Amino acid sequence: MARVIRDLPETSSYWAAVWTACALPDVHVICDAPIGCFNLVATAVPDYTDAIPHLQNITPSVITEQEVGGSGTGPAVQRTYEGLRDEGLLDGKRLIVISTAESEMIGSDLTDLVKTFAPGSGFFHSESLSDDEWIGRDRILLWLWEQYGAAAAQAVAVEPGLVNIIGPTYGCFNSAADLHEVRRLIEGAGGRVNLVFPFESRLENIAQLGRAQVNVLLYREFGESLAEALGQPWLHAPMGMRASNAFVQRLGELLDTGPQAAAFMRQEKETTLQAVWDLWKGPQGDWFGTTSVGVVATGTYVTGLQAFLGEELGMPIVFAVNRPPRPGDLDTEALRHLLHTRPPAFVFGSINEKIYLSEGGARQTSFIPAAFPGPVVRRAVGTPFMGYRGTVYLLQEIVNRLYEALYNFLPLDSAYANQGKGTAPSPVPGNLPWQPQARAALDAALEKMPFLARISASRELQMRAEAFARQQGAAEVSLEVAQAALDQPGG
Amino acid sequence: MTQPTSTPAPSPEGKACQLHPQSMCPAFGALRVLTRIEGAHPVMASDTGCLYGLKFVTHFYGARKSILAAHLGTEELMAGEVVEATRAAIEVAAQEPGCQLIPVISLCVAETVGLPEEMLPKRVGEAEVVLVRVPAYAIHSHPETKDVALAALLGKLGSPPAERNGRTLVLLGEVFPADPLGIDGLLRQMGVEGTISLPGRSIDDLRRAASAGAVAPLHPFYKQTLGVFREWGVPVAGGAPVGISGTYAWLKAIGSLLQLDPAQVEATASAERERAQAMLSALPLSGRILVTGYEGSELAYARLLVEAGAEVPFVSTSIGPDPLVLPDETWLRARGTRQVVYRKALEDDVRALDEYQPDLVLGTTPFCAIAKERGIPAMYFTNQLASRPFFLSTGMAATLSFIRDALGRAERYEWMRDFFEGEEAARG
Repeated sequence: MARVIRDLPETSSYWAAVWTACALPDVHVICDAPIGCFNLVATAVPDYTDAIPHLQNITPSVITEQEVGGSGTGPAVQRTYEGLRDEGLLDGKRLIVISTAESEMIGSDLTDLVKTFAPGSGFFHSESLSDDEWIGRDRILLWLWEQYGAAAAQAVAVEPGLVNIIGPTYGCFNSAADLHEVRRLIEGAGGRVNLVFPFESRLENIAQLGRAQVNVLLYREFGESLAEALGQPWLHAPMGMRASNAFVQRLGELLDTGPQAAAFMRQEKETTLQAVWDLWKGPQGDWFGTTSVGVVATGTYVTGLQAFLGEELGMPIVFAVNRPPRPGDLDTEALRHLLHTRPPAFVFGSINEKIYLSEGGARQTSFIPAAFPGPVVRRAVGTPFMGYRGTVYLLQEIVNRLYEALYNFLPLDSAYANQGKGTAPSPVPGNLPWQPQARAALDAALEKMPFLARISASRELQMRAEAFARQQGAAEVSLEVAQAALDQPGG
Repeated sequence: MTQPTSTPAPSPEGKACQLHPQSMCPAFGALRVLTRIEGAHPVMASDTGCLYGLKFVTHFYGARKSILAAHLGTEELMAGEVVEATRAAIEVAAQEPGCQLIPVISLCVAETVGLPEEMLPKRVGEAEVVLVRVPAYAIHSHPETKDVALAALLGKLGSPPAERNGRTLVLLGEVFPADPLGIDGLLRQMGVEGTISLPGRSIDDLRRAASAGAVAPLHPFYKQTLGVFREWGVPVAGGAPVGISGTYAWLKAIGSLLQLDPAQVEATASAERERAQAMLSALPLSGRILVTGYEGSELAYARLLVEAGAEVPFVSTSIGPDPLVLPDETWLRARGTRQVVYRKALEDDVRALDEYQPDLVLGTTPFCAIAKERGIPAMYFTNQLASRPFFLSTGMAATLSFIRDALGRAERYEWMRDFFEGEEAARG
């Protein structure tokens, strides 16, 4: 049966392959692509997020009607290769040719052609027509190891205490800060970071992945195939206080640095995590139990936010949707409907969820970017979601946004408000009686709002309905009048 | 049916190494124009990579709008189920509140397999379905797909009325919102009764465009759209109200095309010319500027800068050469512009940077980054110029003040380059 996509949240394996291979500075990629697939992945999307720089080590074959119409992309790729070689752009680099949906569509398999290029050139068939970015990243990480690392790694011995971090690639939300914190956790637990792959690595050094005693996968979505191939124990990077403790403790066991790991955990409780303890003991913590949260993000973030915000702080998680989807997740239509009708106080998500909140007029919901797509810059290392510092940063975001919401609910004298659009109802003396049905309609409307917003919204709606009633010369608020007030935009 | 246009041969000047062609994904132009229409709910037929990328960019430049797509994986493409998948998405789009228009944007993979228009519904409920074919392998720049989209919409929604309103004018081109207001104001002084801006936000404007007395392309890449207007018998006004000479000539041309009172036209046109001249004397430019965007409107901007006193030795753009651009090219070449490159690549721009050592670059983002690395002030043409008032004397003032300000920032760009090259520390 035909399937319909609403607001695709994740890209294809071609993008994943480019965002992985181009992170290695001694690689040059030819993407077997029309101008669009080149522009979007290498320039246009990087213009709106610093999670991907402008990619300078990628060149398109520029598929045109001629290639689609019968000549195939071989000659175009050959031409591109020769142009790069003649310009000196391949000096000191390995060439990787990556297929795209369009080149796969016209059946372009360049395995043999690429063998005639400079030694060490490779062709990665990205399977972009069928695979998503998570599968794509997982596949190319393993492929790079198998093509360029595994053989040489036979001669590489495992060195106790060394840890690889696998996974930070372009286009992963918040990876700079998460990587920084996970590195800190590894070092705190007594490990030494060997390679961060592919960030901070070179293709020529890839065999050195074999030196690490333990591998840490930054994400749950990809990297496992490589970790399994490396054959050493591996861990997922943690989110939340309990998972961070478990991670440090387990790493200490694996590296035989238990006492150091234990000392680090104690020290973190006395320093970094004091912020969580103080907010928990303070009046801020009292809000958590009634402040609802919805999450749409990678499985890594969903799992982590559920654990920290939900299980540890006790915030009600009203929905949690994984990318890629897991069985039982709300589909996009249901999610959109929920955000239109009953949005929680906080939504962690991508621009898709932000658009649904705008469509539904959810003024009382705070949106916190937590996933791509969406224009956001995110290279500061002080904004992790992972590790001990991640808990502090998340809590700080939430409490500051609660303050912001409360501020916006405070009444402003209507004389000022009316200088603008004149939409704010003026307070009028005395209360009008409300018919029971009108009162019920008001209660039902308030019930749909985040808890924190209700007190101020109830005051505003009450004033608006009574102003309507007075305009009509009514002595009480009828259901019709209440409904008219509730139906106003922003009501 | 709208067929993709083929690409003209690259201009001779761009013949040397051209490895990195510069355009946004061509389909973006169409998507931007189509998402911005009130009541339009686009359906895309594409692979997931371009869908993701185009959505990413559209949410910055297009609209806050949910975007539907046919699921086209290996299975659907190989089993020939593109039509079924697209129809399913159209059905969902038709359920959106207020949906009046469903543009189906067909991209590379769907076009390669084939998406026959007769297999799609013409109308679902209240909504017209319009197929827009914009494969990136056949249309090589994003401005040109704005044209393809608009031509498809007009072809479907517009029809020549029994009676034409000879005193209305269609203004063609996405411009800063205040620009058409200013143009409309002046035209009314000359006796014009109304203007319609396309592409815009209103479906009604598309329906009534055919009744206009003339159409004026403010941007030079609306080739197919002008073809539709010509079929309707709507005459085309060349040029654009840019700069002193350009504005005067344009107002006069509109006057004669719409048969307005010559005295009234002359009065308005010369008054505007005086304002423009005064503006220019107040804001003269000096300096060497490269205009190297990919919006298709670069030549007109270069023209304004030259008129204001700047030296513009090099202009490049993503669109192909066309009779519509020729007047601006001729005008520029007569006033010292040495190279005009169509369908440009990054390499063309970098060669110009080496050769001309400009004081300011108005270009694409990768090229601006290179200029900034050299300590040269550089601005993204799309964000900083194409989104600012430009036409008539008022637009001229806004654009020229911005350019003057940018030219004055050279020191900051040099300081930043030196800082990151480590020379700051060495200098103490």
